[in-house]
Amino acid sequence: MIEIRNITKTFGRQEVLKGIDLTVEKGEVVVILGPSGSGKTTLLRCLNFLEKPDDGTVNISGEQVNCKRPTKQEIHSLRKKTAMVFQHYNLFKHKTVLENVMEGLIIVRKLDRVEARVKSIEVLEKVGLGDKLDMYPSQLSGGQQQRVGIARALALEPEVILFDEPTSALDPELVGEVLSVIRKIAAEGITMIVVTHEMGFARDVSNHVVFMDGGVIVEEGKPNEIFRSPKEERTKQFLKRITPELTYDI
Amino acid sequence: MTLLITAVSLIGGFIIAVPAALVRINRVPVLSQIASAYVTVIRGTPMLMHLFLIYYGLPILIDSVSRKLNLGFTSVSIPIVYFVFVAFSLTAGAYMTEVIRAGIQAVDRGQVEAAYSVGMTPVQTFKRIVLPQALAVSLLNLSSEVIGMLHGTTLAFTVSITEINGRANIVASTNWKFFEAYIAAALMFWGLTVLIERVTARIEKKINTFNRGGVA
Repeated sequence: MIEIRNITKTFGRQEVLKGIDLTVEKGEVVVILGPSGSGKTTLLRCLNFLEKPDDGTVNISGEQVNCKRPTKQEIHSLRKKTAMVFQHYNLFKHKTVLENVMEGLIIVRKLDRVEARVKSIEVLEKVGLGDKLDMYPSQLSGGQQQRVGIARALALEPEVILFDEPTSALDPELVGEVLSVIRKIAAEGITMIVVTHEMGFARDVSNHVVFMDGGVIVEEGKPNEIFRSPKEERTKQFLKRITPELTYDI
Repeated sequence: MTLLITAVSLIGGFIIAVPAALVRINRVPVLSQIASAYVTVIRGTPMLMHLFLIYYGLPILIDSVSRKLNLGFTSVSIPIVYFVFVAFSLTAGAYMTEVIRAGIQAVDRGQVEAAYSVGMTPVQTFKRIVLPQALAVSLLNLSSEVIGMLHGTTLAFTVSITEINGRANIVASTNWKFFEAYIAAALMFWGLTVLIERVTARIEKKINTFNRGGVA
């Protein structure tokens, strides 16, 4: 279980997060929606301390970290419990597909090479890249690279996988293959927090939708509630602008 | 002797350059200023000067320290070639600092974040993700540095180390065939340089396998 309490973050004079509280149960798929600049990516990055929050607490399955004065060990063990999938994939360019996935297993999880290899191949097959093991990232399409990114995260068996706009940098044609992989692993009961603009995905796959704007959570609830009958005016506006088709769809 | 001096200087230079580059990139207070002063002073003065300053200056320092601490140890007992190692390592280090610094900065920040997100420590990230790619980026410049150092070793002759050039000089002064001796020495340097170029090309080919193709 993940518990975030009163997270704040300021960049210069810009207050990006103004006290965020969020609870995520084990096995839940939480989608964070919101206009750009609303702080959703920053919130996600605060969870594994790629950004250090100014204040608040983060608790991931018992590892409680006070954000004011986190120790290096606390940050390290928090990062070991999480994994992240990036907008721009961020694969290790000098390593093959297989090595990208094995890296964390060998260096962080301390598996021996044979175990790491078996595990990595298994995960890569799950994301449909069993035939690309020895390719380098530069030889793959964006969608394939992102699936390697997902495999790299998945192989670590983290408590939660953080997805930071995983399909935003992809050609529209390639979005589908990545989303279907995410759907597949969501169905396996892996806890996920997903920042995305894919409304269809949010509606179909998530258990919980969070709408953020201006550094606060404006509204949260079941996807049905948020999409069909949003309570807040700001949420209505946002949904209307971003998903005109929904008004006909439902 | 030429090869030994080249190798030791480059390894010494590398050992100086990596931390110096890191310190400069991370703007570590004090150390960063020291590193950048080191780079500008060394790059701003000729290699022969470094050799002379170390060769004549370091013994004085060592002797005075030794005397103060009563170590009963004098600089005369240190082989001259060690001073050459120190001087040329300092030279190579300064040039390599800049080459490696540029290489490190060419590795995108996203991969560092990815490594952290996987749970790697900063040291693991640097060793396994950043440094290999930084060296790959720096390869051509580093290879020039290796060649430059190889040729620079001829200066060691001035402090009575007999490397290739020095050997040529000695041979020539016994039989008066200066031209032939220097041609022979030049051919040896050229041969070594070609070898370095070949090795570089081979490594480059390997690197190009992962750099090939557009960045999607």
